[in-house]
Amino acid sequence: MPIAHEFKYLKAKSLKNAFALMEKHPNYQVLAGGTDLICAIKEGMISPEAVIDIKGLKGLSKIKLSNGELSIGSLVSYSEIIESRTIKSYFPLLKEAAEKVASCGIRNRATMVGNICSAVPCLDAGAPLMVYEATVVVEGKDGERLIPIKEWFVGPRKTSLKAGEIVKEVRIKEPALKHGIAYDKLSRYEGEDLAQATVAVYLDEQNNYRISFGSVAPVPVRASSIENLLNGKALSAELIAQAKILVAQEISPITDIRATKEFRLHMCEVMMERSLKRAQMMLGGK
Amino acid sequence: MSKLKYIGKPTVRVDGKAKVTGAATFVEDIDFGPNLLYAAVVESPYAYAKINSIDTSAAEQAEDVVKVVVGKEFPYRFGLYMHDRYIFAQDYVRFMGEQVAAVIARTPEAAKRAAKLVKVDYTELTPILKVEDALCDHPNLVHPELKSYEHVPWFFPQDDSNIAHFRKIRHGDLDKGFEEADQVFEDVYYVPRYAHCAIEIHGAVGKFDHSGRLTVWTSSQSPHTQRHLFAEALKPLGITHNDVRVITPYVGGGFGGKAGVTMEIIAAALATKVQGHPVKVLWSREQEFYNTYQRQGVVAKMRIGVKNDGTMTAIEQLLYWDAGAYVEYGANVVNAAGLSATGPYRIPNIKIDSVCVYTNLPPGGPYRGFGYSEFLFGLESFVDDIAEKLGIDPIEMRLKNAIKEGDTLAYGGKMNPSGLEQAINKVKKELKWGEKRESKDPHIKTGKGISLFWKAPAMPPNASSTCFLKFNEDASINLLISAMEIGQGYHTVMAQIAAEVLGVPPEKIRGENPDTDRNPYEWQTVASHITWSCGNAVYNAAVDARDQIFDLVERALEKKRDALYLEDMQVKSKDEPEWSVPLRDFIIDGLMMKDGTWRGGPIVGRGMFMPEFASALSNPETGQGGKPNVHYTVGAAGVDIDVDEETGKVKIKKTVLAVDCGKALNPSLVEGQITGGLVQGFATVLYEDMRFSDKGKLLNPNFTDYKIPTVHDIPEKMVPIIIETAQPDGPYGARGVGEHTMIPCAPMIGNAIKDALNVRIKSMPLTAEKIVMSQKNQKK
Repeated sequence: MPIAHEFKYLKAKSLKNAFALMEKHPNYQVLAGGTDLICAIKEGMISPEAVIDIKGLKGLSKIKLSNGELSIGSLVSYSEIIESRTIKSYFPLLKEAAEKVASCGIRNRATMVGNICSAVPCLDAGAPLMVYEATVVVEGKDGERLIPIKEWFVGPRKTSLKAGEIVKEVRIKEPALKHGIAYDKLSRYEGEDLAQATVAVYLDEQNNYRISFGSVAPVPVRASSIENLLNGKALSAELIAQAKILVAQEISPITDIRATKEFRLHMCEVMMERSLKRAQMMLGGK
Repeated sequence: MSKLKYIGKPTVRVDGKAKVTGAATFVEDIDFGPNLLYAAVVESPYAYAKINSIDTSAAEQAEDVVKVVVGKEFPYRFGLYMHDRYIFAQDYVRFMGEQVAAVIARTPEAAKRAAKLVKVDYTELTPILKVEDALCDHPNLVHPELKSYEHVPWFFPQDDSNIAHFRKIRHGDLDKGFEEADQVFEDVYYVPRYAHCAIEIHGAVGKFDHSGRLTVWTSSQSPHTQRHLFAEALKPLGITHNDVRVITPYVGGGFGGKAGVTMEIIAAALATKVQGHPVKVLWSREQEFYNTYQRQGVVAKMRIGVKNDGTMTAIEQLLYWDAGAYVEYGANVVNAAGLSATGPYRIPNIKIDSVCVYTNLPPGGPYRGFGYSEFLFGLESFVDDIAEKLGIDPIEMRLKNAIKEGDTLAYGGKMNPSGLEQAINKVKKELKWGEKRESKDPHIKTGKGISLFWKAPAMPPNASSTCFLKFNEDASINLLISAMEIGQGYHTVMAQIAAEVLGVPPEKIRGENPDTDRNPYEWQTVASHITWSCGNAVYNAAVDARDQIFDLVERALEKKRDALYLEDMQVKSKDEPEWSVPLRDFIIDGLMMKDGTWRGGPIVGRGMFMPEFASALSNPETGQGGKPNVHYTVGAAGVDIDVDEETGKVKIKKTVLAVDCGKALNPSLVEGQITGGLVQGFATVLYEDMRFSDKGKLLNPNFTDYKIPTVHDIPEKMVPIIIETAQPDGPYGARGVGEHTMIPCAPMIGNAIKDALNVRIKSMPLTAEKIVMSQKNQKK
C-alpha cells in the first residue's frame, strides 16, 4: 500500500537545528525508529506537514552507566537494549521486556523512547520503567526538563512532552539493594503481539516491592495498594492470595478485539503471582 | 508393477532454485513499462446500502488522474457456479468494502488520493449479518432477483428467500434409524469465518490493446477459468474467448483464495477503458481480507443415534452456512459439505440439509478443506462426547463405524479403496493412546485427542486437465500444463510422472507456468485433484510421446516394438542388451535412413484426462442417483498437548497425521503437505479469530489482530505417516492429499482440551482466553 500523503522530509543536523525545524513546521512528526510513525502515515491516521528525522543526531544513541545511573539515548533500539551487557547485568527487567517486544525485524529499528512517546496503552516499556522509577530527559529550545516516568504518561497517546521538545534519554538509578525482577506479557500467541496486559515486578532483600501493570488502564499503573500490603513482609502463598484480590482495584482493563476485561484481570492476577515467585527465586539466587 | 525409478522418490523440487535465488517471477515482479497505470477502488462503507448517486467530478480533476470509472459502466454479472457477482456494485452495495467505482491514475499514490474524492451518496439499509436473521419469516432479501440468476444444474436456490442453494441428502429411513438406536444425542457447534492469508496478496494487470486483445496477468489458481469468466462477463463489449489471454506466473500461496475470479475482474474491465495502457490493480492486505473470498461460517445442528455398543444407526446434520454477499463459488462449498457431512462413517440412515445463506458479509468461497474442516469440527467433537457417554474408547468407537471400501456413501455411491482403519491404528500407536503423560508443572494438564478426516474433490463432473509434452534437442522436456505451482510441488511431481514413463530424469523436465494462449486447458488448481487429474494427463501425454518414439524406432530401425523400453534417456531393447539409441539423436531431427532421407521429427506428446464416470445429476429431494465425487481421501490424526489451566495456553507436544494418499509420488512433498496442513489447521483452532462489528465491518483485516502462527508457534514434534492403498484410476495409484491435512486439526485439539481439562468448547476458535473462561464458568 503506497503512502498517499505528501510531506516534507527534513533531516536534523543538530538538536538546535531540530528545534528550529519544529518551530518552522508546527505540524511535524519526529522520526527515530519509524515503526509507529510510518504505519500511522500510511494508514492516514496522521498527516504531518513535515517529518523531522533525528536518526543522525550524535549523542542520542548510547547506553551508558555512570555514577550508578543508567542512561538510554532516544535512538537506542530494542535490539541494542537486548544485546547490552550493562543492561543484562544491572537492569535485567529491561532486557526481559525488550525481548518480548514485537519481532526481531521491528526490534532492530524500534526505539524504547519511541515506544513511550507513542504512549499507546498497550506499550511494552511502560511497566518496567515504572518499576525502575525512570526519569525522562527532554530538551527544547528553552532548555532541559526532567520528568519522572509516573508523570510522563498523561493518557492514551498523551505524554508530558510539549511541542518543540525532543526526548534525549531515559535515566534509571541502579537499585542499591540486592533484588530480583520479573516481567510477563499477555499475548495471543508466541509470535509478535501487542500486549493485552503486562506486569513488571521488583523485590529486594529488605522486602521492598514494586509492581506495575501495563495495557490494563489508560496509562501504566503502579500497584501501590499491593506494594503497601507486601512491603516489609516475606512472600507467602497466603500473602500472594491477598495481593491477587487487590489487583482488581489497581487496574481498569477494557474489553476489545484482543481480550475481554475479565480475561485481562484474571491474567494480571496469574502473571503477578508467577512474576513474584520468579523474582523471589532470582533474589534467592536460583 | 515393475520397479519404479522416479516415482515414490523424494525428488528435489524442480522450482527450488528459481525460488531460493529470487529468480522466480510473480505478478508484482513483471515490468509493464512506462505506460503502466494504477487503479484504486472506491469501497462501500456500508454492509448494505442503496447507491443514490456518484459524483466523480473532484476525482477527475485531481492530479495525475486518467479516468474515473463507475459501476454503471459495467452492468454485468459473473460467477463460477452461479452468476450473482457484479464487476462493480450497481444499485446496491452488499458488503462493506465492495467496489463501487475506480480511479485510474499515473501513480498508485494519485489513484489512492483521488479515490477518496469520489463522493457516493448512499441510503443505509439494515444489513443481514447472521444466518438466523437471513432465514427468519420475512427477511430482507440480499438478492431479490435470485430467481433470474443462471446457475449450474446441481444448485437448488429457493425463490424469494436468502437461500442460494439447498443441498438435501436423504438416505435409508431416518425415523427407523433413530428407533433402532439405544440412545440419541444432539448438539450444536459453531464455526466462524476465516481468511486464507497467503503471503502474496492478490494482484492483476489488465491490458486491452488497440487490436482488441485483452491480456490479464494474474496471481491465480485458475488461469483458464479466469479466461472463460472474463470472456463471459465482458461479452457485451464484443470480447470473446479468442480475444482473452491470461498469463499467470508463480503464485505466492493460494489455499483456495486465488481460485475462480475475484478482484481480477476489475483489472480486466478497467483495461477496456484505457485502451493501450496496462492497468494494475494491487490489493492491500486489508482488501485481501475483506474483498476476495473468506472461508464461510457454519452453524451445525447434529443428531446421532447409536446402539449401546457404539454402532451408529442414524445421523441428521443440519448445516446453515453464512455464505456472504455473493455465493458464485461458495455455494459449491455448501454442496460439497452436504454430500459428505456423515464424515468417514458407515451410517445407514441419513438426513443432511446443507443450506447456503446470503448475508451482508464479504463473499464466502473456497478455502483449503472446502467445507469439511467446518462440519468435522462439530462432528468429530460430538463423536468423542458420544463415546464418552457410552463408556467406549473414542478410537474403538471410530474403528467400529469407520467407512470401508464398498460401503454405501450418503449419496448412494460406493466407497473407494481406503486405508482408514490402518490410519487409525497407526495414529493410536504413535500417540501411545491410553497412556497419560504427566507434567512436572502443577498448572500443566496434559491431554490427547484424535480426529478422523475425509474429503473428496469438489468439482464439476467434467472438469478436465490437459498436457502438451515437448522434447528439446538434448531430450530435455517442457511440460505445457496449466495447473499452478502454488507451493505444493506440482511441477516436481508432474516431472516425476513424465520421467517415469520416458526414462528422462525429473531435473531435465520443466513445468511451464500457464499462458492460456500457449498452455492447454486446465480447469483449476483446486480440490486436491491436480496430482490425480493433471497427473493422468501428463501420464497420458508421456505415453503418447513414448508411443511415437517406439513407432519411429520400429519403423526406421526395424526393432521389435514389444521389446522396446526407455531408460536413462535412451531407447533400449529387451531382446538386444548391447543395443541402445540415445533420445537426443533423433528426438527433434528424426532418424536418417541409408538413402539419406529422414524419418520422424520433433516428438510432441498430448495427454488429456476427464473423469467420464462422474455425474452431478441427482434427485434434488434426496441427492441420490449421481456420482458427484470421484474418490475420497481419508485418514486419521491426533495430538498430545499441554494446557496451562491458569493461562489457557496450549502447547502441542506432538502431533501425528496418517493419510492414505494412494501412492506418495514424492514422499517429501506429501510430508510437506502434512506438516503445512497441520500448522495451518492448528492456527484456525488456536489463534485466528475473525471479528465483525454490529455494522458488518471486519475489525481485524491485518496481522496485528488476525494471528497466523510464527515459527515459535508450531508443534514441538510432527509425525507424518503415509499410507498407500492404490487409487485404481490415479497416476501410479495416487489420489489427492493437499487439503486433507488441515481438516482434523480443530476437533482433535478440542478433544485433547476436553481430555486435559474436562471442558468442551463448541465454537471455534479455541483460544487461550476461551479455554480459561469456559473453565471458570464451568466451575461456577
